[in-house]
Amino acid sequence: MTLTLERRPPEEPAAERPRPRASWHVRANAVVVGYLALTVVAVLAHDALPVPRWLAVHLLMLGAVTNAIVTWSEHFSVALLRAPTPSRRRSAVRLVALNASVLGVLAGVTTSHVPTITVAASALLVVVLDHVVNLVRIARKALQGRFARTVRFYVAAGLALVVGITLGGHLAVDSVPPGDGHLRFHAGHVHANLLGWVGLSVLGTLFTLWPTVLRTRMVEGIERAARACLLLTVGGLATLLAALLLGHRALAVAGLGLYALGVAAALDPFVRTWRQRAPHDAASWTLAAGTGWLLVGVVADLLALATSPSLGRYLDRLDALVPLLAVGFVGQVLLGALTYLLPVVLGRGPTGFRSVSAVLGRAWPARLVLLNAGVAVVALPLPDPLPRLGWAMVLASAGGFVVLALLALTGRARSAPSDRAANPALAGVALGLVVALVPVGIALSGSDDEGTETQVVADGSRPVEVTLVGLDVRPAVVEVPAGTRLRLRVTNDAVTRHDLAFADGPTTGLLAAGESRVLDLGTVETDLQAWCTLPGHRAAGMTLDVRVAGAGSHAGHGDPAAQGSDAAVTDTPAGDVPTIDFGATPAPGWRPYDATLRPAPGGTEHRLVVRAQEKVLEVAPGVRQRMWTFNGTVPGPTLRGKVGDVFTVTFVNEGTLGHGIDFHAGSLAPDRPMRTIDPGERLTYQFRADYAGAWLYHCSTMPMLHHIGNGMFGAVVIDPPDLPAVDHEYVLVQSELYLGPAGQPGDLAKMQAGARDAVVFNGYVGQYAHRPLTARPGERVRFWVVDAGPSDGTSFHVVGAQFDTVYKEGAYLLRPGAGRGGAQSLDLSPAQGGFVEAVFREPGHYPFVDHAMRDAEAGARGLVEVSP
Amino acid sequence: MLGFWSTVRFVHVLSAMVWVGGQLTITALLLPVVRRRLAPDLRGAVMRDVGKRFGTFTVAVFVPVQVATGVAIAWHRGVTWESLSEPGYGRTLSGKLLAFVLVMLAAAGHGRATRAGELGLARSLAMASLVGSLAVVLLATALPRT
Repeated sequence: MTLTLERRPPEEPAAERPRPRASWHVRANAVVVGYLALTVVAVLAHDALPVPRWLAVHLLMLGAVTNAIVTWSEHFSVALLRAPTPSRRRSAVRLVALNASVLGVLAGVTTSHVPTITVAASALLVVVLDHVVNLVRIARKALQGRFARTVRFYVAAGLALVVGITLGGHLAVDSVPPGDGHLRFHAGHVHANLLGWVGLSVLGTLFTLWPTVLRTRMVEGIERAARACLLLTVGGLATLLAALLLGHRALAVAGLGLYALGVAAALDPFVRTWRQRAPHDAASWTLAAGTGWLLVGVVADLLALATSPSLGRYLDRLDALVPLLAVGFVGQVLLGALTYLLPVVLGRGPTGFRSVSAVLGRAWPARLVLLNAGVAVVALPLPDPLPRLGWAMVLASAGGFVVLALLALTGRARSAPSDRAANPALAGVALGLVVALVPVGIALSGSDDEGTETQVVADGSRPVEVTLVGLDVRPAVVEVPAGTRLRLRVTNDAVTRHDLAFADGPTTGLLAAGESRVLDLGTVETDLQAWCTLPGHRAAGMTLDVRVAGAGSHAGHGDPAAQGSDAAVTDTPAGDVPTIDFGATPAPGWRPYDATLRPAPGGTEHRLVVRAQEKVLEVAPGVRQRMWTFNGTVPGPTLRGKVGDVFTVTFVNEGTLGHGIDFHAGSLAPDRPMRTIDPGERLTYQFRADYAGAWLYHCSTMPMLHHIGNGMFGAVVIDPPDLPAVDHEYVLVQSELYLGPAGQPGDLAKMQAGARDAVVFNGYVGQYAHRPLTARPGERVRFWVVDAGPSDGTSFHVVGAQFDTVYKEGAYLLRPGAGRGGAQSLDLSPAQGGFVEAVFREPGHYPFVDHAMRDAEAGARGLVEVSP
Repeated sequence: MLGFWSTVRFVHVLSAMVWVGGQLTITALLLPVVRRRLAPDLRGAVMRDVGKRFGTFTVAVFVPVQVATGVAIAWHRGVTWESLSEPGYGRTLSGKLLAFVLVMLAAAGHGRATRAGELGLARSLAMASLVGSLAVVLLATALPRT
């Protein structure tokens, strides 16, 4: 038998009576098409979304695909087992609940709202479990036929999704085991959903759907193949998931290998059916291509798993495979199934069936080639702009289908022209062009030597290629004869955003990585200079000089009066730099940075969100600067834990520049966690505190001098084992201030010259002189001190007190009792930390200072007020 | 000036000229005339014969000559496996080789499809092969510059 669904053979007379079941499926499929459309929109609106990649993948997988599987697996189970149709109402409620929870998950993750995610993911679990129970019931009620196995595929798929959702939920709310738990959960989540939920559903369905779509009979031995496939894929997947979660690589390879064998078992009847009748229309070719990508994806996954040096590297490769599997396999199988099923449920009678088929089949060879070539281009490690081109091809093809499906669903295209014979020559030209793209792309990839020259001579015949790399402009100098019309093609080859702006002249605007723009400077008569206007980049050397042969430097350039308008594009100070009055007192209502160090929270895991925020803060009485901060304060939040604790930090860039983060308290490969992320992006930084100490953390983005110098630092305190309790613990982070104009970021040129305006504890001039730290007579006070620099050290001293305990950079230099020694100051270089302890015997006001007096008088001072 | 290596290059280019030019001539000049002038049965027979001879030329002369001269030129120029991944000359050459392989696959597919009587597919693959071979020529012209 074949899967007949509700389809009548075209010879049968048209049914005039409206069919409730058909409209039910129309609605269910409309939801699927709707999610597909949203996926296309999400990919197009990439830059405007907070988590674009996640959203696109989940709109497709959780939205479109999950709806399709839940609807159709129930329907196929009923049809194949000839079981009584289960309650329509319950199915409807299930679908509504499914979509409510899917939308909840999407909204929750997009807004990082943990309670929403938790509730929605739990609801999703319940819906999927209900779906599984429903399938089991259908199978029980039915007479066990030769297709009972298909239902077992669906049940196994549903259970895999339960695992996948559970892991995904934990990932979304960041509650994963310490160490590489994040990586293991991620790998498990991807496999449970892609290979389990989707893979098993598709494989199970293909046994019967493939002959049906090809309109041929089933081949012999299909039951045997299905049995082997079920055993191998389910066994393999279970092994794979367990091994991934336990972090056992060899076992994972074995599990994935078994799964691959299971896919191969399914391919046998697939190929034999093909031999019997080759694919001949949109649905069959699309399904065939999708199945091909499953095979490619599983084999590539197996290779990646077997050869990756570490789990982290494997996940990078797996992430690269996700588009291939999600679009090539899952998306395409969905398109193929919809192409076959939509005419069945929409077409009323033979003419209706044919006209819907004709609408959905429009230009299908072109769309098929476009989609698959696009997936290939995206999946191969090709240089920009080829992946973008690949995505454009995928989107054009998928968008085309969505439009046609919407036309079919709304019934607008019933009077479609009949199928025109495809033009084989045209299709061939298209195929040739697409095929030629990859080799040409390879040939063009990599930079020519041109880009690395520091100086080029332009003759005006063509645009001069200018690339922005790291914090460099290449070439840095362009020489032109006077009177040349100069055009520059500026390409941002850096991983972060940059721009290039001429004083009083054209600007590229911010260029994302890989973007380029042509600047037309017109006829050049005098020397010009351009630079990247992002703070600090000009000073770091991102400048381009245009030198006119024979012209004087800058003479006659522009109207001198217009130079003031440079302020918009220049990052050299414009406006008055405020002066600090070291005798002034803060305005009423001013609140100091709380220096109290709280005990470490319980538990061995610490999760927190650190947000890079650019914020105008007061740094001295009446002096405001646009500081770059972690969580809005300078210094950022102090983290505290014990040796062995794991910190999982979600770092979110809420600023306007690229930022990164570097925790000295953990050791790991900096490549990924310390990378610079663009505004709106986030990353997870996980480290285990293996060693005790007072550690610095800071922004890792170049020029680091500017980012640290403008406030992006903080402290991590890891208690030494058996640290005794004391009466008070304070944390003081010392840094320098290099003022820019009021309300602007600090001045990088001053930072480079070491010309600081003030030295401060916890970000404010004389902070604790205005609001003293407190203690009572006889109490023991521990001062944790971290020197954030960026450039100067400290000699921390408390006037009137002696330290009986000194702990510096992971070691006690002095402990009470032994040898009756004492200490007067704790010296720290930039990025060092430690603590000192003192007991204040008498009431009084004890100043603490950086005993480099120059610094103390420039703001590095405070008071401990000891009163009974 | 006209030494051994320029002769080898000449043979390489000549053979490519004949193959690509032959395809272009058949598709752009011969095919339309045959379609207009010959009856369908005769047309099929003529095109099959032309195709067969072209296929024989491809297998017996074109591919061996291109591979032999191509490998020789690459060896002479000091191309190594590693250098194939370098930007510039190396990658252009890799792209050209890949395009060549794809074109040969398309041509082989064309022959197969013709024998199997799938004329639409055969025609598509012939056009793909032609367009692809133009890409090979394009990349070949880019080689000396790099």
